[in-house]
Amino acid sequence: MFGAFRPTASVSVGLLWKTPWRLSRTRKANVRDRLKKVDAVIEAVRASGVECGALARALELPKEHEMDPKDKYTVFSPHDRGYRKGIHKVPKFTRITHRVNPKGF
Amino acid sequence: MASLLVVPRRTPSALRAIVQPAATRSLSTPAPSPQASTSTSSDSPSEPNTHYRITLRRSAISLGERKKGTLVALGIHRRMQTVYHLHNPETAGKILALKELVEVENVPASAVRTKTEQKWERKAPRGFVVVRNSIPQRS
Repeated sequence: MFGAFRPTASVSVGLLWKTPWRLSRTRKANVRDRLKKVDAVIEAVRASGVECGALARALELPKEHEMDPKDKYTVFSPHDRGYRKGIHKVPKFTRITHRVNPKGF
Repeated sequence: MASLLVVPRRTPSALRAIVQPAATRSLSTPAPSPQASTSTSSDSPSEPNTHYRITLRRSAISLGERKKGTLVALGIHRRMQTVYHLHNPETAGKILALKELVEVENVPASAVRTKTEQKWERKAPRGFVVVRNSIPQRS
């Protein structure tokens, strides 16, 4: 009856789970913070002078200040209208790197 | 009749140990000064940065066995644990595999601390250091 994952009751009309379709400004600020922290990690590895394939691929990723807000807060989705959905709908989005989306979407 | 060895009872007033306020604990080398930035620490020309200082900030729960295995390979067992590793491509690759979870800083070799040394630096000082005792101590 209570808790995050409640079953939909046949008696009541609609859905009991609701998430907003977009991020609030606090959540967006946190997303930007996390992106900056990952940028700092990549920068620290680059500054160490070591060379490896993972670093070459990481340096291809856009930095937070180079990213479009659309790419920071939404991801490509083939099923949704507009072919985009909120990044908060991606599982573990706070601990995953997802910066690039298909071109044109 | 054998004479009993009488040991005087020690009272707080009798233990007139001369104490001094203690500074922070330090093991062998002095602790690094708290002026380092998040990504790289300033290195004087004589002290090149040779190590990564890696701290786990976010856990790898439900991120899969690969990422958990990477943490095992780095020697990290819990959140907020700090480990030091030499600069090399293997460690760099491990860090980049965990770049969303980890905080990294480049430090010189003098700043490297073992687990015991980190624990010692974390401990709060007693607040005093016994300089000498007025009562002769039992050896």
